[in-house]
Amino acid sequence: MASLLQPDRVLYLVHGEKKIRSPLSTLYFCRYCSELRSLECVSHEVDSHYCPSCLENMPSAEAKLKKNRKRICNQLNENFRCANCFDCPCCMHTLSTRATNIPAPLPDDPSKTTMKKAYYLACGFCRWTSRDVGMADKSVASGGWQEPDNPHTQRINKLIEYYQQLAQREKLERDRKKLARRRPYMPLAFSQHTIHVVEKYGLGTRLQRQRPGAPITSLAGLSLKEGEDQKEINIEPAQALDEVEPLPEDCYTRPINLPEVTSLRQRLLQPDFQPAGASQLHPKHKHLLIKRSLRCRKCEHNLSKPEFNPTSIKFKIQLVAVSYIPEVRIMSIPNLRFQKECQVLLTLTNPVENITHVTLVGCEEGDPEDINSTAKVMVPTKELVLAGKDAAADYDELAEPQDFQDDPDVVAFRKSNKIGFFIKVVPQREEDGDVTVSFKIRHDFRNLAAPIRPSEEGDAPTEAIWLTHHVELSLGPIIA
Amino acid sequence: KNSAKKVLAAGAVVCVESEIRGEVTIGARTVVHPKARIIAEAGPIVIGEGNLIEEQALIINSYPENIAPDSEGVEPKTMTIGINNVFEVGCMSQAMKIGDNNVIESKADLGRNMILTSGCIIGACCQVNTCEVIPENTVIFGSGCQRRVQTERPQPQTLQLDFLMKILPNYHHMKKTVKTTSAVTPAKN
Repeated sequence: MASLLQPDRVLYLVHGEKKIRSPLSTLYFCRYCSELRSLECVSHEVDSHYCPSCLENMPSAEAKLKKNRKRICNQLNENFRCANCFDCPCCMHTLSTRATNIPAPLPDDPSKTTMKKAYYLACGFCRWTSRDVGMADKSVASGGWQEPDNPHTQRINKLIEYYQQLAQREKLERDRKKLARRRPYMPLAFSQHTIHVVEKYGLGTRLQRQRPGAPITSLAGLSLKEGEDQKEINIEPAQALDEVEPLPEDCYTRPINLPEVTSLRQRLLQPDFQPAGASQLHPKHKHLLIKRSLRCRKCEHNLSKPEFNPTSIKFKIQLVAVSYIPEVRIMSIPNLRFQKECQVLLTLTNPVENITHVTLVGCEEGDPEDINSTAKVMVPTKELVLAGKDAAADYDELAEPQDFQDDPDVVAFRKSNKIGFFIKVVPQREEDGDVTVSFKIRHDFRNLAAPIRPSEEGDAPTEAIWLTHHVELSLGPIIA
Repeated sequence: KNSAKKVLAAGAVVCVESEIRGEVTIGARTVVHPKARIIAEAGPIVIGEGNLIEEQALIINSYPENIAPDSEGVEPKTMTIGINNVFEVGCMSQAMKIGDNNVIESKADLGRNMILTSGCIIGACCQVNTCEVIPENTVIFGSGCQRRVQTERPQPQTLQLDFLMKILPNYHHMKKTVKTTSAVTPAKN
């Protein structure tokens, strides 16, 4: 019954700006705020860039440096793209370099020929080769391939510079207005707006990200930058043409050579050229992927920070919910009948190493969080005790049996840090959808992150706080 | 009826573990891996030279769906396969006419009404069941069976064939091939 273990059967409610219900495996737990966080109530930040095929790292700083060394339009092309790897323009797979032996005349003696290696790019998926578009074979394995130049680079450069200057000026004015207003009250506070606003025209990578409480260095920085870019950039407006190139004569009569026509996707992946014919599809450098880190919006602590190395999948900081919150899973469901009481077997797993006490409470009438349930549920009233997670328990066969007095009506079985317990479900609605029940689970949480108070040494080093979560289970359809 | 003759030309390397049923002719320098299946149900199969038929490939000349196997008046149709084709692992081909230098990749599925010319590549897991002649040098790939035309045909797998013809007999028993009769009969003295 693997379908019972599907993650979206059991949803936890997250209190954020929006009430989000999602499985525990997708949630994070901020142990400073002691609250669940979902992907929508954290801020996502780019940690580093890496190429997915050659796994070469390019930290954001270096990507920025590369940007500043070359012209801006080339920056847009080469920025955030790998230097070594190419994408097939036909199927977007990664291209591999293949070698052939071709006879080439010796430089000393033109009459004799030796075998030289010639390299070409080929796609293993759609069998596209660089020879299809007329690119000559190169004599070096990597670094010989160039992307064709865009004829409009100059104009685009100028436009971008102009608009970046414009956006910078707008931002300055906006910040000045905000600070002028706030000065009588809070001299050092910055608005959330400034921190999390999406920068227009890509300015965000140039200016440092503001932090709340930081001294007003940013404005000073801005004014300096303004001094640098003091030169006004003027652009000529685009000129409208009266005459347009006429369509070719045989536009309606020429039969279409279907393999030669590019698909929309192939065309739009090369926005500077958008070739209509497959023989003009040149390979582009591969786009870099990012490693992102997540940050709680309320307390600004990091919730997830990956390793820097692209080959490593571990995390430096990994505050995921499954390692702090007990997880409810469905183990078995009997046949659900309308208005008849059925007993459902659930499991509760304790992820932490100390003993956890869990109390289940049914939702009251008119509970604002209880919008989806279609059945009444009777949860066990007694407190359930979960043993701590012992990493060595699997290997230690002579472990002492845990001595918990379990009520056999409530607890079905107990296995190291997991227990199985029964709940009674009475489906209330005779409809086609799934039977959904919800209840609240209340457990104690020992916050290891909180600093130990130095004055009271006799106390237990960590105090337990009680957390309550709203859980919804989807039990499947009613079987008549 | 076991009157179906299997003619394995000299030089063909056919492993004993492969299943060959019906009237099948296999050309020289063709390698048939173990667990490959060539089943000539509704007619004979003629396979040319230099082909590579890998494990769990299924080449079957089957009856069309609307005709029962035992009905009268059904003409046996011959399935012809040309030279230098590659049938990769796990593919299934029912196409009645296959030309030269084609590659049918792993788990591809060819219907009965297809005709492959030369240089075609049917990509992995592509199921093609149309009633058409695939033009030369066509590549069918992707989950949507997209097509494109490539400029050069796939190279014949001579290196692989040579290697297999040397190595396979070291590890498997081979089916008996027809001995080449010498053209000159010894003169009687």
